[in-house]
Amino acid sequence: MNTMKWLVKREFWEHKGGFFWTPAVVGTIMTVFLAVTMLIAVTVGKHNGIHINGAMITNLSTAMGAEDRSQFVTALTQGYMGSGAPLFMVLGFVVFFFCLGSLFDERKDRSVLFWKSLPVSDGETVLSKVAMALVVAPLITLAFATIVSVLSLLLVTTTATVMGFNAFGAVLGSASVYLAPFELLAMLPVYLVWALPTVGWLMMVSAWAKTKPFLWAVGAPLLVAALLSWFNAMFQFNWNIGWFWQHIVARGLLSVAPGSWFGFVDPQGGFNLGPRESANMVMLVSQSWRALATADAWIGAALGAAMLYAAARLRRWKDEG
Amino acid sequence: MSAVISARGLTKRYGKQVAVDNISFEIPAGRIVGLIGPNGSGKTTTLKAALGLIPFEGELKVLGMDPRTHRDQLMEQVCFIADVAVLPRWIRVSEAIDFVAGVHPKFNRKKAERYLANTKLKPSMKVKEMSKGMIVQLHLALVMAIDAKLLVLDEPTLGLDILYRKQFYQNLLEDYFDENKTIIITTHQVEEIEHIFSDLMFIREGRITLSASMEEVAERFFEVMVTAENIAAAKALNPIDERQVFGKSVMLFDGVPRAQVAALGEMRNVGVADLFVAKMKGTYA
Repeated sequence: MNTMKWLVKREFWEHKGGFFWTPAVVGTIMTVFLAVTMLIAVTVGKHNGIHINGAMITNLSTAMGAEDRSQFVTALTQGYMGSGAPLFMVLGFVVFFFCLGSLFDERKDRSVLFWKSLPVSDGETVLSKVAMALVVAPLITLAFATIVSVLSLLLVTTTATVMGFNAFGAVLGSASVYLAPFELLAMLPVYLVWALPTVGWLMMVSAWAKTKPFLWAVGAPLLVAALLSWFNAMFQFNWNIGWFWQHIVARGLLSVAPGSWFGFVDPQGGFNLGPRESANMVMLVSQSWRALATADAWIGAALGAAMLYAAARLRRWKDEG
Repeated sequence: MSAVISARGLTKRYGKQVAVDNISFEIPAGRIVGLIGPNGSGKTTTLKAALGLIPFEGELKVLGMDPRTHRDQLMEQVCFIADVAVLPRWIRVSEAIDFVAGVHPKFNRKKAERYLANTKLKPSMKVKEMSKGMIVQLHLALVMAIDAKLLVLDEPTLGLDILYRKQFYQNLLEDYFDENKTIIITTHQVEEIEHIFSDLMFIREGRITLSASMEEVAERFFEVMVTAENIAAAKALNPIDERQVFGKSVMLFDGVPRAQVAALGEMRNVGVADLFVAKMKGTYA
C-alpha cells in the first residue's frame, strides 16, 4: 500500500503540469473572465441601463417579478457547478495524453531501466498510473471545478445584488448549493468504470508501440473503421457500421471524456425534459449511474482490464535493447 | 554460502542470432567480477537475463531465485545501473531520494544524503539540469544507500571524464563493497579498474573464453621479452600472442611452467587489457 502511495506521488511529480497547473490556470482565466464581464455589466448597467426584453432597466428590483426571482435562484443554485464544465473537458484531454505516454515515454528516455531496478512489480506500476488517471486527476479537477463554481456563484450573486436584487439569502439558504460538489463526486465511480476501455487501450498501445503511439492508438482504429465502412458501401454487406463506429471506435477512444456515458443511456443524450424543467444535478447523477446498468459499461470495463493486464505483461517482458 | 549467480546452459536467441550460447558459470559471494567482452559479445544480454529483464533458455539462479518468476523479490536484493543517465530527466534530487526511500525496504536515507553532501548536487536540482557526471553521482548515491547483496554495473562510467570515473570506483570500494556484497562490472575501460577486480570473465561471441580469479590469471599468464637468439625456442612453447616492442619480441604465454620460460628473456605480468586483446584477436576480422 505504501508503495502504491509513492508510485502515485511519482506520477503526480512528473505530470504536475497537466494534472495540477492546467486546471489551475484554466480555472483562473475563467474566473477572471467572468469577473471582468460582471464588472462591465455592473458599470454599464448602472450608467446606461441594460436591455431586457426590450425594456431599459437600471434596477433589477423593479424589473423582476417574484417568479422570475425564484427561477433565477433555482437556475443559479442548481446549475452553478456547470461553470466547472470546461475543466472537465480539459481533464479528458489530459487523461488521454497521459495514458498514451504513460508506458511509452519511460521506454523512450530509457528511465524504465531505473524504475525496473527497484522492487516494484509491473502490475503495481500500471495500476498506479490508472489510479492517477481515473481517481487522483478527476479529484484534483473536481476541487478546482468547485472553487471556480463557487467563485462564479458569488460573482453572479454579487452582481445581482449590486443591480438591485439581493439574492444572497436565497442562494446561500439553498441546500442544493452545498450538495452540488458531492453530487459531482458521486459521478466519479461512473467515470472510473466507463473510462476503463479507453485507458486500457491507450496504455496497451503505449506499452507496445516502438514509435508514434498516437498514430497507432488513434490511426489504427480509424483506419479499420474506414475500411469496414468502405467495404460495406462497396459490396453492400449491410453491416451495421454505425454500431462499430459508436461502440468500438468512439467508445474505445473517447470514453475518457467525462460524461461521455450520456450518449449510451436511454433516452440517448440523457433526459426527457418537460418544457419548464431544467436539468439538475440529481438527474445527472441518477442518469450517470444508470449508465452502469448497461452491458456497454461492463463489457468495456472487462476489456479495459484485460488490456491493462496486457500492458503490464508487455512492460515486464519487452526488451528495450 | 551458495553462489550469488549460477548459470547452466544459459542461452538467449534473438531470432536466429544467438546472443548467448549455452554458457555456464558460477559467481560466489564477496567478489568483484569484471565481465569483459567486445561490443555485441553478449555481456549485456547475460546481465539482462540475470536481472529478469528478458526471457531466456537454460537455467539461471540469482541468489537462489529464478529471475523470470521472482523478479520483484529479487530486486530487493539486487541493484543495477544499467547505463549512464537512465534517471528520468524530470526528477529532482529530493524526489528521487523520497521515492526510493518510499519503495525500497533496504534503502538508508542518511547514507544517501551523506554521500550527496560531498557532491555539488542540491536537493532541488532536476536531472535535466545536471551534467552526465552529476547524474551518475546521484545514481550511485541512491544505489550505495541500498543494502543489496548484488550490484550490477553495465558500463557505469561510459562518457565520463577521468575525475568522475576515478571517484566513482573509489567510492564504490571505500564506502560500499564488503565481503557480503558482490559486484559485477562490464566496462571497456579495463586498464583503469583492473586492480579492483577479484575475478575476470571474458566473453566472446556468446561464449565464455576465460573465467578465473585475478590470482589465477597472474599465475597462468605472463609475458616474456624474448631475446633474439631465443625466439625459435620460445615459439616452440606456443605463445598465444606475439608483438614487437623496440625491435624485441614480446610473447604472451598461457600456463607454461615459469621455470621453462625464465631463461628465454625478461618476464613480467600481463595487463588485463593486453590479455583481452590477445584473447579477442580476430573478433572483428
